[in-house]
Amino acid sequence: MTVNDQAAGSVAPATEPSPQPEKPKSHFSFGLDRFSGLYVWAALILIFAIWVPSLFLTAQNARIVAGSEAITAIVALGLIVPVAAGSFDLSIAGTLGLSVCIVMWMQANGYPWPLGIVVSLIVGVLVGLVNSFVVVKLRVDSFIATLGMSSILVAAAYWVTDGQQIVIGISPHFVVLGQKLVFGLPLPVFYMIGIAIILWWLLEYTPIGRYLYAVGGNPQAARLAGVRVDRITTGAFMTSGFVAAFAGVVLAAKLGSASPDVGTSYLLPAFSAVFLGATQIKPGRVNVLGTLIAIFLLATGVKGLQLVGTPSYVKDLFNGLALIIAVALAARTARRRT
Amino acid sequence: MTPTLTVNGITKTFGGQLALDDVSLTIEPGEIRALVGQNGCGKSTLIKILAGFHEPDAGFAEVAGVPLTLGNGPASEAAGLRFVHQDLGLVGNLDTVDNLALGMGYPSYKGAIRWSVERKRAKEAIKDLGYDFDVMRPVGGLQISERTAVAIARALSTSGAEPHLLILDEPTANLPATEAQRLYKLIHRVSERGLAVLFVSHHFDEVFELAQTVTVLRDGRHIVTRPVDGLTEPALVELVIGRTLDEFHHDVGAVEQGPVVLEAKGLRGETIRGLDFKVHTGEIVGVAGITGSGREELAGMVFGGLWREGEITMMGKHLSRQRPDVSMAMGMGLVPAERHANAAFMASTLRENVTLVDPGRHMRGWVLRQRSERADVSAWLDKLDVRPSNTEFGMAQLSGGNQQKVVMARWLRKEPKLFILDEPTQGVDVGAKADIHRLIDEAAALGTGVLVTSTDHEELVRLCHRVLVLRNGRVIDEIRGGRLTSETITAATIGRAQSTDAA
Repeated sequence: MTVNDQAAGSVAPATEPSPQPEKPKSHFSFGLDRFSGLYVWAALILIFAIWVPSLFLTAQNARIVAGSEAITAIVALGLIVPVAAGSFDLSIAGTLGLSVCIVMWMQANGYPWPLGIVVSLIVGVLVGLVNSFVVVKLRVDSFIATLGMSSILVAAAYWVTDGQQIVIGISPHFVVLGQKLVFGLPLPVFYMIGIAIILWWLLEYTPIGRYLYAVGGNPQAARLAGVRVDRITTGAFMTSGFVAAFAGVVLAAKLGSASPDVGTSYLLPAFSAVFLGATQIKPGRVNVLGTLIAIFLLATGVKGLQLVGTPSYVKDLFNGLALIIAVALAARTARRRT
Repeated sequence: MTPTLTVNGITKTFGGQLALDDVSLTIEPGEIRALVGQNGCGKSTLIKILAGFHEPDAGFAEVAGVPLTLGNGPASEAAGLRFVHQDLGLVGNLDTVDNLALGMGYPSYKGAIRWSVERKRAKEAIKDLGYDFDVMRPVGGLQISERTAVAIARALSTSGAEPHLLILDEPTANLPATEAQRLYKLIHRVSERGLAVLFVSHHFDEVFELAQTVTVLRDGRHIVTRPVDGLTEPALVELVIGRTLDEFHHDVGAVEQGPVVLEAKGLRGETIRGLDFKVHTGEIVGVAGITGSGREELAGMVFGGLWREGEITMMGKHLSRQRPDVSMAMGMGLVPAERHANAAFMASTLRENVTLVDPGRHMRGWVLRQRSERADVSAWLDKLDVRPSNTEFGMAQLSGGNQQKVVMARWLRKEPKLFILDEPTQGVDVGAKADIHRLIDEAAALGTGVLVTSTDHEELVRLCHRVLVLRNGRVIDEIRGGRLTSETITAATIGRAQSTDAA
C-alpha cells in the first residue's frame, strides 16, 4: 500500500511545497493493481448489458442489487474492524440472526419497537464483549472463540423465537425503516453509506485506526509502543458486534418477519468482500472502499449470471471462489512486498 | 583458469531507485571472498539476483564459463550456485539425517526409506566438513556452528549439479568466538575442495580472519576488490562508509552531579535478583552480561514489558503500574532488541511506524492531518539520514539499519526523558551503527538519560559513561573512567575463573 498511498496523496491539490525536492517519485500507472476491482466491475456491467440488455440495465435491477447488498455490506464493514486488528469474527452472522429475532420477538410481545432496536444493539455489543473476553483474557484463538460463539448465538435465536417464524404484531412504523425508498433507493443503502463513512473516518483519520492496523500488523511491537492491545481488540469485537446487530435490525425491517436461521447466509459473502477488498485501494490492508467495491462487484456478477439464466447455486459458488482467490491474491501481494 | 563466477555490468532498479549500478566481479576457484558494505549498498540485491530471486535490468553472469540464466532459481541451482541464508532454514525438531534428506531426497528401496544408508550418508557429509556430532539428535539442540555445518552440508549435497560456489549470508552472526573459529575451519575445508566461497559480512574481524579477498559495495556501486593482506580495519571502514569515523570520549564526573531520571530499587524478574541503580540526566549507562545474566531481561523490565518486582521511580515519581503505555506516559522510550518481532511494522509505511506512539499529535478537530504528519516524519527521516527517506515507503522496503533508525525516530521524536535501548545496533552495518551512536550521544547531550544493554562491548565503551556488569542476576561490577575498556567488560561478564580458557 506504500507506493500507492503516495499516489493517493498526489490526488490532493499539490500546493504544499515538498520538504525534500529529491524525493523519489513513484512511476505513473493506471493503478491497475489497486483499482482492478473497479475495472472488473465495469467490465461485468458491460458484458451483462450487452448480453441481456432488457433485463440487466434497468433501474429496478440496480435498485434490487443495491438494496439486497446493503445489508451484506453493513455486516462486512463491521467485520473490517476486527480483521484490521488481526482477529476473526465468525460470530457476526449469528449476531445478525439473533438481532433479527430479538427485535421482532419484542414487537410481537407488545414492547415498543424503538426499545426492540435498543435491546438488539445492546445484545450485539455484549456479544462482542464476551468474544473479546474469551480472546483477550482466556487467550483462545479468535477463530475458535467466535466459531463457538456463532453456534451459541444460533441456539439463542432458536430459544428466543421458539423455532417459529415471527410474522404478526410487527409495527408498520418499524417496517418503513427497511423498505422506504428515498431518491429511488431503499433506506438500507443510506444506512450502509453512513456506516461506511463513519468507519472510513475511524480507520483512516483517527489514531484508533492506526492502533487497529498496528495491532493487526505486530501485536507485540504495538504493545511495546504503548498501544493498549487488549483494549483495541475489545473495542474491535464490540464494534463488529454492534454493526452486525444493526444489520440485523435493518434486515428485520426489510423482511418484516423473523426466522432463527436468517443470519447464516451472510457470513461468507462478508468475509469474501473484506478479503477481496484488501486487494483494492490499499492492497495488503483491509479497507472500507475496497470492501464496498468487492461487495458490488460480487453482487453484480451474481445478479448478471442469475438473469442470464444460470442456476441459483451460482451465488454460493461465486462467493466461495471469490474468498479463495482474494486471499491468494493477498498472499501474492505480501510476497512481492518483501 | 576459468573463473568460478563472472558477473558483468549488473544493474537493477526498484521503483526508480538504483539498487545496483553496473556491478562487475569475478571469483576464482578455491577463493574465499568477503562481500561487505552498509545496509542498502546492494549486497543482498546482488545475492538475490544470483539466487534467481530478482532479474537484473542489465548485465550477465557466467558460472565456470557457462552463461547463467538470471532471474530463475532452479537455473542458479543447476549452474552450481549454493546458498546458505542467515536463518539457515533448518527444521529444528528434525535430526541432521532428516534435514539433509529434505534437500537430497530419501534413499529408498522399493518405496521404503533406507534409514541405514541415509544415516551413513549424513555422517559422511558432516565428517567431510570436519565435524563430528550425533546426526540423530534434533538440530535444534546442536551448537550454532554445528547447525551452520548441517546447513552447509545440505547446500553442498543437494542432488543434481556439481556445486561451484557457496554463498553465505552473515555466517558468524550471533556466533561466540570459539564457535566462529570452528566455522572458519569448515569454510577453509570447503575451499580446499576447489569450491569458491562468497560470504556477506558485517563483522570485519571475520573478513580479516577468513577472506582472502574482499569486495566493497557502496550505494549500489562496486568500490574496490582487493586482497585482504595489507588492509587495515580503519581503512576498510573508510572504504565501506566513504568517510572516517570520529573518536568519542565522555566526561564521566559531570553528569553525576545532575538530577536523577530513573531510580530502580530491589528490581527482580525471571533471572534478575535485586538490582539497584540510577540513571542521571544526560548520562549514558551501559549494561553488559552474558546471556542468562539478566542483561537480556533488564530493558523490557524497566519499560514494563516484562514482569518485575521492585520499585521504579521516574523523575521522583513512583511507577505503580507495570505497563508499557504507563512507562511511556512517564517519559520512557524503548528501542527493543529483535526489531522484527518487537518494534517494526513491516506492512506499514515509515510514517505510520514513526507516529504510532502519538498519532494524535496531528489531529486537527476530528481529523488526523496526513499532510502535516508527512512533513513532520519527513524531517525526522532526513535528520536520521534514513534511506530511502520517502515517508510513504513500506518498512519492508528498507534495510535493517534503516529500519532501526526509523524505530529510533519513533522515540526521539517524543523526546523521552529516559531512552532505553536493547542491542541498538544488532544486525546493523558500520555506517548506520556510527549514525545510531551519534544519535544516542545527541539525545544524552540534550538531557535524556540513556540505558543501553548490549553484547557488543566495543559499543558500550564507545557510548557509555559507565557500564554495569551483570552476572547471575546481580551487578558484580561497575566499570567507569580509565577502566572502561572492552577487555575489562568481557573479563567481568565471564568472571575471572573462566576468563583464561575462554580466550
